[in-house]
Amino acid sequence: MSLFSNHTTVDIDNPSSSLPTAQSRWQRNISSYPNHKPRHTKIPPWLINTASLIVMALLVLLSLSIGVADFSWSGIFHSLINHSANSDSSLMLVSRLPRTIAIILTGIAMAVAGMIIQVVLKNRFVEPSMVGATQSAALGLLVVSLFFPASALIIKMGVATIAAVFGMMLFMLLIHRIPPTDFLMIPLIGIVFGGIIDAITTFIAYQTETLQMLSVWQFGDFSSVLAGRYELLWFTGVLCIIAYIIADKLTIIGLGDNIALNLGISKRHVTWIGVGMVAMMSAVVVVTVGMIPFIGLIVPNIVSRIMGDKLRRSLPAVALLGASAVLLCDIIGRSIRYPFEIPVATVFGVVGTVIFLWLLLRAPAES
Amino acid sequence: MFTNIPATTNSVTSSLFKRPLLTAMTAALLASISLTGCSSPESSDTASTENATSTASDNDAVSASTIDVDTVKGKVSLPINPSPIVVYDMTLMQDLAALDVAIDGKPSGLHLDNLQSKKQPDPKEMGTVFEPDLEALNAMQPQAILVGSRMAEKYNELSNIAPTLDMSIDTANIYESSKQRLHDLGALFGKSDQAAKLQSNIDGLIEETKPLTKNKGNGLVVMVNGNKLSAYGYKSRFGFVHTVLGVPMVDGKIEDAKHGQPVSFEYLQKTNPDWLFVIDRSAAIGEDSVGAKAVLDNPLVAQTTAWKKNQVVYLSPDSYLAFGGYQQWMQDLTAIKTAFANAK
Repeated sequence: MSLFSNHTTVDIDNPSSSLPTAQSRWQRNISSYPNHKPRHTKIPPWLINTASLIVMALLVLLSLSIGVADFSWSGIFHSLINHSANSDSSLMLVSRLPRTIAIILTGIAMAVAGMIIQVVLKNRFVEPSMVGATQSAALGLLVVSLFFPASALIIKMGVATIAAVFGMMLFMLLIHRIPPTDFLMIPLIGIVFGGIIDAITTFIAYQTETLQMLSVWQFGDFSSVLAGRYELLWFTGVLCIIAYIIADKLTIIGLGDNIALNLGISKRHVTWIGVGMVAMMSAVVVVTVGMIPFIGLIVPNIVSRIMGDKLRRSLPAVALLGASAVLLCDIIGRSIRYPFEIPVATVFGVVGTVIFLWLLLRAPAES
Repeated sequence: MFTNIPATTNSVTSSLFKRPLLTAMTAALLASISLTGCSSPESSDTASTENATSTASDNDAVSASTIDVDTVKGKVSLPINPSPIVVYDMTLMQDLAALDVAIDGKPSGLHLDNLQSKKQPDPKEMGTVFEPDLEALNAMQPQAILVGSRMAEKYNELSNIAPTLDMSIDTANIYESSKQRLHDLGALFGKSDQAAKLQSNIDGLIEETKPLTKNKGNGLVVMVNGNKLSAYGYKSRFGFVHTVLGVPMVDGKIEDAKHGQPVSFEYLQKTNPDWLFVIDRSAAIGEDSVGAKAVLDNPLVAQTTAWKKNQVVYLSPDSYLAFGGYQQWMQDLTAIKTAFANAK
């Protein structure tokens, strides 16, 4: 709270209590919105975070242990004691650790990006791929690969990011013109909008015979991650830290235009920062590992049901759950057809669909 | 304008009756019905036999100018040396180019330069390898359309325009299948001798390569696609390395899949093949890429015997696009022969 203003004291966890008139549309539409629940039913955040940290630690251990090559933890232990490298420690550093870090960073980035876009658009049913961000990034990547095939990865990524920002800007302009009478309107427009960009990309790829190259990029898969081939993802980690720093401002944007105005937050400003961050995260993930569906939708929804939308409190949980979800799906993808792999996007597509249906069909929580 | 259409239906029905399996099944079915006590099938059974005989004698009458070609969809009767022809498959185009047969229509955007004989004028573009341009086909009214695996799905559409020959290569049995195709193309275009000569070139190289691969260790075929890897088994289009040349497979569990089984670099380190056969897919489809070599050049692959002993064979793009074609056989066999001959 101290970060931004002190001219009003508003409990941003529970705005309806102090500012009933400023209640935003999406909160009225979704009766199961967690803020409507009495506080005592909530699990304390520290407990959730500790639990998810333990789960994630277990998944990390599992992820480091699973792989085709021969590997033993005792080898790592010996290597640490003797301060010398052996086959186990080099395998760990070259393959296992980079892959696990890449998975964690991707999971965090996608989940946090989903949370930000949901808060900024005040809609629970959007994720980066539903506002044209990932599709625009793919289009940018395709265009730069066609015109400057030899350009460095950083340039390709830069173009993809610019394209993603541009695509999201277009989307924001689009939804500005449409009265948000229905909370399903934004995701529906987003799906159509993403579909249109996707169609343009596919058409260009079809005409230039690059369809299959496109599908390789777009398909989320960690099998090729090695030391030296994923490091761009650290950038998304930096973005997540920035998101945590400006979490309160984002939360206020999510509470509604009037509240933001009252609290002296420039809505335009913060919205664009949020949009820019989501675009950058989507672009980096698409360029380095490909698209993974549903994370940005499911993880923020689950967390927000339990913990509400105060980002300062819920972002760590979103990040942890996002990382764990992708870790779990990648472990499944690596195990069920061992020694071959199933791309993580496929596994998450299946698991994500089930969870999403459960989220949709589950009886709304008592208010 | 629509004169071919009755001809097409005729050839389809005749090919239907000439299938021995189908006839046998029909006969068996009718026999089983008669066993259950129905009285009428006696006559229809004889009728179908008569029908089959009459079709066969019809064929004999016209056999001077026509030929039966074995295709995936059964035998198809065609006049010898049909023209104009449209070919949608790179494997068949390679064979025809090697036989010096001119083609009149081809798909656009082909990435190989050995697909048409040097002497002939450029064929018209009639769609892509996956999607025919039906308008252009209808305007040309070809006497035959030759398709392979990539276009096989469009068989029915194409059959409505002209006699269509699905001459897909059977990847599980790539040598026998491609030999049969080359032989059939030779017969169809009256160049049987030349086809036999081309086949003897391939066979000669195989005979020279086989002894070289003996006791030189096992191998694995991988495709590099972007920065990702997939492994191919003996039933794939690259299976000839194992089935024809006899290089033992490093992992017998690899199942057939169009684009291979996705694997990690750790898989390569663990299976540790003595020989690595690499298809650079991006190069095959004419993209600039980091290159298969750069993708493979990492600490895990460096631990494999293949990399340490410099036993990495880069197969031609033809083996991805025109597998089983004449030039593919020659290029890949030469590359493999050279590599094994140089092995210590």
